[in-house]
Amino acid sequence: MRTGKKPLWRGLTVLFTFVFSLTVILGVVAESYKATIDTALGTLSETFVSEDSPENPLYNKFQPSAELLNADGTGNSHALIQKAIDLNRQQAAEGAVLLKNNTENGQGLPLAAGSQVSLFGIRSKVSLIGSCFGVTAKGPYVSLEQALSQSKTDFKNTIAYTFNKNHQTGEYSRGITLDSWNGDEFEFEGGGFGVNPVMSEIYGKLNETYLHAENETPDENYNPGEPSLEEISDVNPAYADSFAQYGDAAIVVVGRPSAESKDYLPGSVVEGLGAEEPLQLTDNEKDAIKLAKSCSDNVIVLVNTANSIEIDELKRDPEIDAILWIGFPGSYGMLGVSDILCGRVSPSGALPDIYAASNMSAPAMQNMGHFQYANGEEMLTRGAGKTGGGAGNYIIEAEGIYTGYRYYETRYFDSVLGNGNATSPVGAYASKTAWDYEKEVSYGFGYGLSYTTFTQEFEGQPEIQVTTDPETGVCDATATFHVKVTNTGDVAGKSIVQIYGQAPYTPGGVEKSAVQLLNFDKSDLLQPGESQTVSVEVDLQYIASYDSAYDNGDGTTGTYVLDPGDYYFAAGNGAHDALNNMMAAQGIAPESLVGASNAAMAVKTAITEDMISKTAFSVSKTGEKISNQLEYADWNYFQPGEVTYLSRTDWAGTYPKTYTDMTLTSQDLIDKLNGKYYTIQKDDDTSDIIWGADSNLMFHEMYGLDFDDPKWDELLNKMTLEEAQYLATFGGPSIPGVASIGTVETYMTENAGNGVAVNLNASKDPGAPWSIPASDPNGNWHPEIFANAPLTAASFNPDLYKAVGEFIGQEGLFTGIPILWGPGLNTHRHAYNGRNGEYYSEDPVLSGVAAMEFAIGALDYGLIAAPKHYAFNDQETNRGGVAPYMLEQRARETELRAYQIAFEATKYDTEDFDAGMRGLMISFSKIGPVECTASPEMMTEILKKEWGFKGYAVTDIYDDTDLYGAVLASGATCFDTRGISGFYGSTTLENCSTFATQVDGSKVSAKLLEGDAVLQNAVKDSCHNILYALSNSNLVNRYNSTTHIEQTMTWWRAAYMAAMAVFGILLLASGAMYVVSSRRKEREVQ
Amino acid sequence: MSSFLKKQGAGFYVNILAVIAAVAALITMVMCSTISEGDALNSFTLLVTGAVAGILLILAALYASNRFGNYDFVSTIAVMAAVALFSAVICGIIMSRILLISGLFSWNSKNMVGWQVFYASVTSIVCYVVSIVLMIIGSFMKTVR
Repeated sequence: MRTGKKPLWRGLTVLFTFVFSLTVILGVVAESYKATIDTALGTLSETFVSEDSPENPLYNKFQPSAELLNADGTGNSHALIQKAIDLNRQQAAEGAVLLKNNTENGQGLPLAAGSQVSLFGIRSKVSLIGSCFGVTAKGPYVSLEQALSQSKTDFKNTIAYTFNKNHQTGEYSRGITLDSWNGDEFEFEGGGFGVNPVMSEIYGKLNETYLHAENETPDENYNPGEPSLEEISDVNPAYADSFAQYGDAAIVVVGRPSAESKDYLPGSVVEGLGAEEPLQLTDNEKDAIKLAKSCSDNVIVLVNTANSIEIDELKRDPEIDAILWIGFPGSYGMLGVSDILCGRVSPSGALPDIYAASNMSAPAMQNMGHFQYANGEEMLTRGAGKTGGGAGNYIIEAEGIYTGYRYYETRYFDSVLGNGNATSPVGAYASKTAWDYEKEVSYGFGYGLSYTTFTQEFEGQPEIQVTTDPETGVCDATATFHVKVTNTGDVAGKSIVQIYGQAPYTPGGVEKSAVQLLNFDKSDLLQPGESQTVSVEVDLQYIASYDSAYDNGDGTTGTYVLDPGDYYFAAGNGAHDALNNMMAAQGIAPESLVGASNAAMAVKTAITEDMISKTAFSVSKTGEKISNQLEYADWNYFQPGEVTYLSRTDWAGTYPKTYTDMTLTSQDLIDKLNGKYYTIQKDDDTSDIIWGADSNLMFHEMYGLDFDDPKWDELLNKMTLEEAQYLATFGGPSIPGVASIGTVETYMTENAGNGVAVNLNASKDPGAPWSIPASDPNGNWHPEIFANAPLTAASFNPDLYKAVGEFIGQEGLFTGIPILWGPGLNTHRHAYNGRNGEYYSEDPVLSGVAAMEFAIGALDYGLIAAPKHYAFNDQETNRGGVAPYMLEQRARETELRAYQIAFEATKYDTEDFDAGMRGLMISFSKIGPVECTASPEMMTEILKKEWGFKGYAVTDIYDDTDLYGAVLASGATCFDTRGISGFYGSTTLENCSTFATQVDGSKVSAKLLEGDAVLQNAVKDSCHNILYALSNSNLVNRYNSTTHIEQTMTWWRAAYMAAMAVFGILLLASGAMYVVSSRRKEREVQ
Repeated sequence: MSSFLKKQGAGFYVNILAVIAAVAALITMVMCSTISEGDALNSFTLLVTGAVAGILLILAALYASNRFGNYDFVSTIAVMAAVALFSAVICGIIMSRILLISGLFSWNSKNMVGWQVFYASVTSIVCYVVSIVLMIIGSFMKTVR
């Protein structure tokens, strides 16, 4: 039987049904993730529209500085980039640390003008300027070779690469961070050196196979990828002929990458490289240094890393003339490195981390890496949620407070005094018979050399001021040290004044570090012979110790204590120098010390109960009584006696063992690990919680109001519970609008700490007068260009930290971003954390001050800096939910103190203004067995009540979305729901897969909180914090009573709509033809 | 039975293959939703219902062709509905998985459970697409001789 064309039309109808369905799928997915697509493609599918008028003026609250604007108020991209170059250059010039400088016989640094130099090591060709993941330095940059020898950028041909991982094979390949650069080039004053082109060409050729990038990552079986001499010779056998011409100096660069998600692991290095640990130099790296020695009598080593490389042999090698640590200098930081090498700038940085001869000698290294409960699979029912890590991972931080220099210097102090078995070989790595500081430590924390010499002298005794508020009990106790700094050398330079303290220690009592940094400042540029008095104010609360056993007499336990006794304060070139000065002041014979000492640089202050009460700091700056909050962080809290923490009473007997295969026996511990934190109520009386009240008040009217202003209640009561729940749930980058108070869904948050991760011409606020148009030749400049955190910190220059914060704040104005996910603010527990490049330092005071200054500077321009990761992200291994167990003293005195300094920001507090950071990102990790996100102790008791935090506190990406009620109840203000947008439409509380599964079996919906008074109050409080933060951000620049959103026809939107229309028509047409052919067939049959 | 099979055309067998592919898609979809609690598919019941309905529609189409002859309206509408349903299910899987996938290819590449979920999800989607393609091919062909 003939069927004519009926089969064809039928088939086509089904075919177009599918193709049409595909276009619908495409449209639905695209609209649901439009904000992410916009960011990726540089489009803008929604326009934030506000009408500017004299009655409702826009863009008058936060504006870029005049130097970044043209005369007509439009943005000047050239000036912006030039400013970025200048600041990044200063970061490197002031942050790079001169560790060794043998200037005898004209060697060492600085190099003579016009020197002809050779560069060695593949890192001299492909230096690390950022991390491949986390804080990537993007776009065009200035290479070391260019900085040394050229006077103008070659951005067009010098664009940074990063590593991309092939997720099928696990192998990495290089990917360029910017397709091309057709914008401006910039002139600069380079080093004025001639650089050996032969070696440069060889390393360039070798990198065609090595494929190194300017932004890389550690790996679990690490190989630094340094070519051998044979490989060098294979490229050009006559390479050594060039040494005669370029032998004034040989500059060797050795480096180790740092990045998010990957750690170095103990012993994890590719076999056959001649290194037992990933941070040791390999044979090929040592051969590169030997080659440098054969090239020149003046060998300079640049240490290009954020993780302390073991360089003890370089320190002790007389043929190495100078060592300069340069961190990851950022896109233009090599200009600052060049400034140091040529002597234009005298180095003035100081180490942000101690450099041990063997990193494994840090007690924290005994418990670093992958650990799983022996019976985790049997006992744990909760998975790791969206992050997918193992739920049964833990680390025991048995080192207590003794991380970084606190360990080495305290053990040194006790070894000199013969206390606590400090000289026992237990824990010794560089020496076999006895623990010996001189052998164990290469360079101490805070150490750094200069081209000039300085004297520092105390001018009088420290001024101690103590005031106690009789009503609140808040004690403000400060000691101000006036230090006269004199440049006694031949060249201009800056000098850091570091003030350290030592609290009296009683064996068996509360653990105390023998030395700790209390504050610091930096002199101005001092000409030879010039003096300046630098005054450093120390907040004495930071020398108090946390005694978790202290009986507060009110039924609570644990608080800060300031034991009466003799306190020592000292200045010095780093912690070790300062400790030596204290020990000299204590009458300890100089010959028993390692290194020089100067008793005049230490002061003894007897602190009595009359002067400052022992419990003066038991009340926080907010008036909150401080007591134990994190007892559950201690493993022994659940299963007593199983963990021994390191103590000065017996260094040998308490030196940490490695705690593997811990067995869970405590039901309380197991319950906490299983996420049983909070039960959502259904029948609470919520009648006194007001939602949906009548009011004319709108969000745009809240700018500048105090957090406690009664208008906030009026505004918050106006919101509906559903609106509040959306705002407290979806934390960005796209944040839901709240119709009742006049806010609209907006893209608000972005990474990272080294600049705002949005291209200049892809501003989320294109209506701003200074917005850079797409036509601007510099439009594709990417603002993530600054140095990594350790190099930033190493300048020890609060003014510079603030200046960078101010600039990145202005980046926020240019890119329309009001909240920045950065800077990183965890402290370095050890050298192996892959994230060390994103966090400032091992010291909480240095970290806290750097972050505070950055945040205050950024907020001046309306950018909320949200430091991460609060807290305890001590390793990237198993970061998705790893449980770090520790003492509350360690938690408060090291890890949390950095945050405390930044959030309290007492330096900037006035009677009228409570300064502080307005944002925060919470850690993936737990604290003990409890998720940080779901810990009311972390998020409310300490953060808000003790420190007075007011602002936006978001989880890390999709973290703990299976603990919805517990996270809302803890005080976290919202979840990081990156990629999700289209709220109330394509995305609802009910359909969002991110919250699909809950540990407690609940179903997230707009009805979920109706019977729970605690959660209703929690989301109201979260909205208060979020809106307060936003009302003081650059977002308010574009808000007024006319604000609304308009949809725009982006090319991708037009494309899927056109496809939908075309295939819809084809579907109808083929369907119609099918019907017609069927009827025709029927007629033929009839 | 053998006379019934002898009566069937190529389209019948192609659609049977489509049913098999759809069943495989359904099974892998259930697997991908149950590997990890944290990665359960959103609206899982609805997705399963859609998939089962789609399979039943293909079978209904085969029945209709046998009853009303090749290229009849009922079987055509049933196949179109099955294609649309499977497309909707694919859309649902993608919507539930897109954030997981973006994480796996960026910040969360070490999420081994996530990779299992990813592979199961991709397998399921591929099976659905294969089923749809087979239905499209079958719709050009005679179901009964």
